[in-house]
Amino acid sequence: MKRRQTLSSILKYFVLAVILLFLLFPLYWVLITSFKTNMEAYAFPPSFIPKSPTVESYINLFTVNNVFFVYYKNNFIVSGISAALTVLVALLSGYALSRFHFRWNGWIVAAFLSAQMFPMISRLISLYGLMRGMHLINTHPGLILALTAAMLPFSIMLMSSFFDSVPVAVEESARIDGAGRFGVLFRIVVPLVKPGILAVGIYSFLLAWDDYLHAATLIQTDGLRTLSIGIALRYLGELSYDWSLINTISIVGTIPMLLLFFFFQKYMVKGLVAGAVKG
Amino acid sequence: MSKASVPARRLKAATGDKLFSLGLLLPAILLTFVFILVPVIDSIIKSFTEYKIKNVISGQPGTWNNFENYIKLFQNDKLMPAIITTFIFVFAVVIAQFLIGFILAVILDSKIRGSRFLRSIMMMPWVVPTMISGMVWLWIYQPQYGLLRYLVQVVTGGSVLDFAILNNPNTALLGIGIAALWKQVPLTTLLLLAGLQSVPNDMLEAATVDGASTLRRFVSIVIPYMMSVIKVTVSMSIIENFKQFPLFWTMTGGGPDGSTTTLAILSYREAFVSNNLGSGAAVTTVWMLLMILVVFVYNKIFRAEPMD
Amino acid sequence: MKRVLALVLALCLALSLAACGGGNSTSQPAAGGSGSQGGGEGYTEDITLKVANYAILESGYTEFWEGVKAGFEEKYPNITIEWVTAPYGEITNQVINMAGGGDMVDVIFSELIWIPTFVEAGLAAPAEEMLDEDFLADFYPNVLEAHQVDGLTYGVPLYASSCVLYYNKDIFEAAGLDPNAPPTTYEEMLAMAEQIDGMTTADGNKIYSFGVPTASVAVSGSFLNSVVYNFGGSVLAEDGTLAIDDGFTEAFEMIKLLDDKEYMPQNAKAKDLRNLFALGQLAMYYDQSWGFNGVSSINPDASSFTASAMPLKGGDGNGAGTLQSHCFVMVNNGDAQAWAAKEFVQYVITPEVLNDYMNNITPAYPVKNDMADCLPAMLEASADATTQAIPVPLVPALNDFNLELCTLAQAVTVSDKDVNTAIADFETAANAILAG
Repeated sequence: MKRRQTLSSILKYFVLAVILLFLLFPLYWVLITSFKTNMEAYAFPPSFIPKSPTVESYINLFTVNNVFFVYYKNNFIVSGISAALTVLVALLSGYALSRFHFRWNGWIVAAFLSAQMFPMISRLISLYGLMRGMHLINTHPGLILALTAAMLPFSIMLMSSFFDSVPVAVEESARIDGAGRFGVLFRIVVPLVKPGILAVGIYSFLLAWDDYLHAATLIQTDGLRTLSIGIALRYLGELSYDWSLINTISIVGTIPMLLLFFFFQKYMVKGLVAGAVKG
Repeated sequence: MSKASVPARRLKAATGDKLFSLGLLLPAILLTFVFILVPVIDSIIKSFTEYKIKNVISGQPGTWNNFENYIKLFQNDKLMPAIITTFIFVFAVVIAQFLIGFILAVILDSKIRGSRFLRSIMMMPWVVPTMISGMVWLWIYQPQYGLLRYLVQVVTGGSVLDFAILNNPNTALLGIGIAALWKQVPLTTLLLLAGLQSVPNDMLEAATVDGASTLRRFVSIVIPYMMSVIKVTVSMSIIENFKQFPLFWTMTGGGPDGSTTTLAILSYREAFVSNNLGSGAAVTTVWMLLMILVVFVYNKIFRAEPMD
Repeated sequence: MKRVLALVLALCLALSLAACGGGNSTSQPAAGGSGSQGGGEGYTEDITLKVANYAILESGYTEFWEGVKAGFEEKYPNITIEWVTAPYGEITNQVINMAGGGDMVDVIFSELIWIPTFVEAGLAAPAEEMLDEDFLADFYPNVLEAHQVDGLTYGVPLYASSCVLYYNKDIFEAAGLDPNAPPTTYEEMLAMAEQIDGMTTADGNKIYSFGVPTASVAVSGSFLNSVVYNFGGSVLAEDGTLAIDDGFTEAFEMIKLLDDKEYMPQNAKAKDLRNLFALGQLAMYYDQSWGFNGVSSINPDASSFTASAMPLKGGDGNGAGTLQSHCFVMVNNGDAQAWAAKEFVQYVITPEVLNDYMNNITPAYPVKNDMADCLPAMLEASADATTQAIPVPLVPALNDFNLELCTLAQAVTVSDKDVNTAIADFETAANAILAG
């Protein structure tokens, strides 16, 4: 019995180690490559610890290839505003879906759920013409609106499940005290769903940060481009690869997300879990 | 406040509720309608027309062409391989993701040292942007200097010298699948872990006292309890992988020898490489229909399963 | 960043001032005459010329193009160049999408194989209509012909290339081969490849003997097409239908052989080959002459071991390759814009502007009599590569067709299919594409 337990315990730790290695080693690999010179990066068999670590490609990124930071800044602006807008709209709609049960709710939920499924490419062709008609092509507001629309369905469902967990009684007592509808919503209910707001906010920030296709279609000026598409066009170009630089970019492009995650993980984990478990 | 006015106020409150609710929903409906539903419908319409770049430039609507886009796609032998590739990819990745995620969740849920810490660092790949995760794996797979080539050499004792996963039509899809798993397993694990933790402990303890085996406890208590979480997790993963584009586009572009040409790649190629937007729209229409079908069937199966 | 901003501000200011001052100037040419032909007369109003150019984003080229802009704007103070940028793979879509939005570019810096797309879109204007006659007359006829659709020239080449053979002299020497006697036929190449096979670099990496790009990018298709021409084969007929023959089959048999012998890096893009070549891991490979820019950007010392040679002869062929070029595609956006576009094109395609570029930045073959002296030393050994090169018929679906050629090459290499079966599959797919 005892032996079987140790055996299964060993097996458990072994499996854990294998999976964690799979998840974490690639990041380590990219990190150390970013500290190698190109010549060392191209050596085979590869070295697992940089022989002569160098920050050359970081310096290179900050000095020579600093257009990267224009993309970076744009990505922050676009993702930040999209996330804020998504939170606001999802807050209103989520509240409406959670509190008021009308006949049309079923249809609206169905529309949102199916909207979430449509692949972006299917919309690409038409979206372009549409945005052009609205004079939103090649602008950040246009990109932000399109991104917000794409993130809304899931965000609304998530937000609505948070409102579900706030007892109606809280609102009723506020009502009796004479608060208006908006007063009840913003002064009483919103503070109670703060974790949900954070969860939706961070989730949509992550999604917007990840966007490639929207920006590829809707943005044409280099100075307005966001990170993913910027990297694709400038550093995966036709002429050659610079792997140390690409790995450096991968690291620098990921760090803010990691910080954000570690900082807010409590809310994000709780929020996503609550939304998914209920939904 | 007289008693007589209460029903009247209720009535007013009801219309007020309706207006208020609609008002709150309006921005979301508007955005979804304009940026998602209209383009989707427009694209379905385009799929029945001859619509090329000339039309884009002149602003002329396409001309109806008797399902020619669809007929051609089937005749060209392009659509079926793409559908099959898409299904293999989705099926394999979703199952592997679920299994790995579940195993990891169970391990992290058991009493293990540092599980809180592990739980948070294992999430790291999830926040890496897709584009960058494509580059991470491209570098690992690099045919001449890649880490994978080295590992395969070591593991096979030097009998396989050149292993380039993305250069071989038989393994390229696997290569992309691994990259997709890497990014998606963390979230799956997280959600399943939450599901596991929602299983009441006293029920498990009671079962243990009754002498039920670990497997038994799993099948009859844990799984049924987690059913709703599993359902959501798996359906999220189906949708995500069905839609996958950037990984394919950056890592293989659909090659080699068409072995990673999914519906996403095919539609992009038709529309934006061949500049045949009508034909590209036809691919996406088929793609959307399949996706709806899959999600529908999936929901049917899961609903039919006896829950209690 | 700040400097750019300041520049933009200054420019805006200058523009608005000019607009105030020159309130009366309409779109009349200063010296009369409305056509863009005939030269001499100019426009004095402020013109913004939109030039679509992917190269400005690639570090190897940025400096040159910024120099072109500065030089041109100095010569024509009333014309401002505005770059429209997109990645190499997206620039055609970008230009088309913009045009769809009513935002027309004036000039596109293009690959020869993109011309059909712009013609099909109705964007490209014939050079005969846009440029001065004597300027156009100075081009080599066979080069200009390669840029024609239905007898009209839709692309004005800056310089040309064929798929030339670059080889590493150091590796040749180490293998006991004469570094000054590159192979001239596929047989010779195979013999040399065998001698090189098995060699490794100082740090133990395999040295590949020979490389042709086969990865799924439209331009790889041009290289494959070139190999077919090497064998005297044909791919497309003049009328744009499929016309494959024995030479075609021989070419793909050769590619299969190279793969079976493991001489060739599999499924490589041109840039993968440049990378390997720069690091001394590839002895011979086919590239456009300007691909050397990619080589030297990885290894600045590459010019010490790099040499060029004529494309190889195979079967009954005389070793002709496909003609490739970087060219300007022009859009006619009205008299003033067309005039500025003409001046720009005729400004750039001169020995003064391109000589240094062709010699030091991207080696390429001259396409015009007055630039005959611009041939870089590195390419002297293969000077005839473009004269005997054969143009590819510019069919509308050329990009997609080229991708299908890549799929065929992958079928016989990485998929290890039988050549005849693979060609049969290719025919089905290609015919469908060409029927478009």
